Amino acid sequence: MLSVKDLKQHLWSLAAVLLVGACSQSTSEQTPPANPAITGYMVAVNRPDNMHLIDLATNSIVRTCKLPAYAAPGTVLISPDRTVAYVLANRFREVYGLNIDTCALVFSTRQNHDNLRVISYGTIALSPDGRELYVHQNPTLIMNDHYEVQDTQIAVFDTAAGLEAAPVRSLPAPRQIMIMNTDAKGTLYLMGPDVHAMDVQSGALTTVIQGRSQDDPRYGSRDALTIWPIGAVANELIRLYTVAKYKDESRNLETADWLWGYDKIDLTTGAAESREFAPLEAVYFSGMHRPGHPDQIYMTFNQLKRFDVNAMTETGSADLDHSYYQVNFSPDGNRVYVSGALHDILAFDAETLEQVGKITLPGGDMALSTTAVFKR
Amino acid sequence: MRLLKLIPALIEVLSFLVFPACAVAATGAELIQANCVGCHIPDGEGRLSHIANQRKTPEGWLMTITRMQLIHQLNINALDSADPVSEMVKHLADAQGLAPAESQPFRYILERRLNTIENLDDEHFAGVCSRCHTGARAALQRRNEEEWTRLIHFHLGQYPSIEYSSGGRDREWFKFALNEVVPWLTEHFPLESPAWSEWREAAKPVQTGAWRVIGTMPGRGEFAGYIEAEETAKDRYTVKFRGEFDSGEALQGEGDAIVYTGYEWRASLSLGNGEYRQVLAGSADGATMQGRMYLLDHEETGMDLTATRIAGSRLLAVTPNRIRAGTSAQVRLSGFGLEGEITSDPGLKVISIVEQGTDGAVVEIQSDADAAPGVRTIKFGGSALSPALTVYPKIDYIKVLPEVAMARVGGNGGSQTPVNAAFEAWGWSNGADGAANTEDDLRIGVFPATWSVHAWDEVAEKGDDVRYAGVIDPATGVFTSPAAGPNPDRPGGVNNFGNLAVVAEVKDGETTVRGEAHLMVTVQRWNNPPLR
Repeated sequence: MLSVKDLKQHLWSLAAVLLVGACSQSTSEQTPPANPAITGYMVAVNRPDNMHLIDLATNSIVRTCKLPAYAAPGTVLISPDRTVAYVLANRFREVYGLNIDTCALVFSTRQNHDNLRVISYGTIALSPDGRELYVHQNPTLIMNDHYEVQDTQIAVFDTAAGLEAAPVRSLPAPRQIMIMNTDAKGTLYLMGPDVHAMDVQSGALTTVIQGRSQDDPRYGSRDALTIWPIGAVANELIRLYTVAKYKDESRNLETADWLWGYDKIDLTTGAAESREFAPLEAVYFSGMHRPGHPDQIYMTFNQLKRFDVNAMTETGSADLDHSYYQVNFSPDGNRVYVSGALHDILAFDAETLEQVGKITLPGGDMALSTTAVFKR
Repeated sequence: MRLLKLIPALIEVLSFLVFPACAVAATGAELIQANCVGCHIPDGEGRLSHIANQRKTPEGWLMTITRMQLIHQLNINALDSADPVSEMVKHLADAQGLAPAESQPFRYILERRLNTIENLDDEHFAGVCSRCHTGARAALQRRNEEEWTRLIHFHLGQYPSIEYSSGGRDREWFKFALNEVVPWLTEHFPLESPAWSEWREAAKPVQTGAWRVIGTMPGRGEFAGYIEAEETAKDRYTVKFRGEFDSGEALQGEGDAIVYTGYEWRASLSLGNGEYRQVLAGSADGATMQGRMYLLDHEETGMDLTATRIAGSRLLAVTPNRIRAGTSAQVRLSGFGLEGEITSDPGLKVISIVEQGTDGAVVEIQSDADAAPGVRTIKFGGSALSPALTVYPKIDYIKVLPEVAMARVGGNGGSQTPVNAAFEAWGWSNGADGAANTEDDLRIGVFPATWSVHAWDEVAEKGDDVRYAGVIDPATGVFTSPAAGPNPDRPGGVNNFGNLAVVAEVKDGETTVRGEAHLMVTVQRWNNPPLR
């Protein structure tokens, strides 16, 4: 005899089956069987205003929340308690915090107000306790008949402030900052032309990696461009750079070695590392270490590549059916994901680089969005 | 229903009654007062802030007003003007335009010569202006230091990614732009200049009258024709255009023109099935107008032309303008007021006259087998043209122009029409030293060719670019771009882009001479303002 409670449970199971069945119309056409070995979730954003919670065990969408604004750029951070996703959206203008279980909007910034217009690129970060949100701002005053570009700054928001939060303090910061994150002690790292560490109370800045300002006669100028604050799942903030390494004092670009390098901050210790790790033979948009494998870096654009960092050699390659901008991993490092550009995410076995899954997001392109992977 | 049908007729009648009032319609200055004051503040002399300290071309002012509409919510108050934007552009370009000498080096962008490769490699230009748009777009403006500074602020405020993108992030862009580029722009493109002071005061010609047009259009060849212009109100003209290509194909129709700043002739013409825009610069003496006309929906397709006011006697063109030594050829002479004998320099002789009139002739010319290579003068009565004909012993090499061209996918339901390309095969002689690409080389002229496209490199070969990225007319050298959008038949579902070599094969006697250009077929431009 079924109890009412049991019946309810059965009905819920049936509803779940029906719901998954409905979802499979759009998402699981090419989804391989569930792989229970992988545990973890991914939050991904696509146009026009979708935020998806994806179960990496099944490569399926658990829930789709509606953002209150246009998705671009769709940079995602997950709160330390794994309940809230913070998304930079509304055409680089505002950050929204959504409860990933209920889709409730629990936080939003009010960067643009009166005649001040603020743009932020991939530059959002949370304090380790999740109480503060840091946003690098490019502000401009729109006057009656002209614009006045203002100094750039870090705006600090209280994540408990609810909707249309105003900054609780602002700290002067360099221009041209691209991505940021905090380490376990709460130091904020800003990756721009150089890499800076900021004390988020005093605003004191130190340069921890010289990028553009590096003046090593053995090298040409470094160039770095990113909008994906990735690496958290491997406990790092990392971005790629390209550089020419000269053969000799003649500094001849024709004979120089062209190399990929990375700037990295260890998110536990705050240790900074900057080094070359691969020959520059093709363009990649992003790259990061495989969790648990500090000797391996994976990069993506038109191909997914694996490099042995110490040997500076390619150790794996997979062709992609279109461009994918951002690389990410499952928490255990056994799956590597590529996303961005269009509206599908590919999952690969990180060891064999065999494709093992594809998650097609209902809606439009992911474009420049940054996925976030976490474990609950 | 009948009443409804009457409405257009009623409107027509009412318009007729109302339009005479337009003879005293709001002036450009009044419209600027009505539309700009509020955001722009007049000083004690009525000069509007931000506006007063700039000078621009008509296209530049049009883009300014359009920008005010698009991003600053300007809703035009037309007062009683039928075309308020045009009136404001006219007023601003007349009062605050560029002198002929100031616009002259940068007319290629006014004339929509889309394949121009600029030679503005000064770091101030390259680092700030021309990495995103043409340098000409900036160089066709004049501002004082405050306004150049505001332009930098506007750019970074409106497009904050400027300091992140390639060519921006390699420096402290904002500091560089403010501290180094603003002074440089102020020095090179100042608000006040002797050229402008002189032009502002100069008497401006009236373009009413008959003009002889000589033109050339890639893909269709040499053209000779006429413009008849009649001023209907100050600086506003009705225009009749007629003529024919050397192939015999006629091109004719009519339209209207406005002259801005005393010399900037802009005509809109319906010619055959095409809507054309003429962008010409009138000379200070009123004797010539020179520039280009292009199809409104295909700006890349157009004719280079010079219009010469018909007065007295002038021989203006001999086409084709080259003859191989030891051969005879039929050539067309075009001009006006031509009477008398047709003669040439030694080495050439006119062997027969096919037809002759006061506006030209068709003649058979014979070149001596031992005629020295070089340019020759042709005389038609008292009028001489030099250089008129180039004598050449043989074609040593072909240069395909433009050497580097860009075409764009389009159509297929998208908002952008395809951008095509047209090529010309220019024959060259090595000159006395017998070596190609040296200073004594002789540029002969444009030759008919057989055209084809090929993969530019291995990547293009692998991508089967020739199959997907458009077709070239083997007879005319006109390249038609492919449809836009992801192509499911292509690996990766990519667009129909392509990296192509455009090959011209020119027959020269018994041999074939080959030349090559580089054509990149790329994706659409989504933002296509008059000045790019």
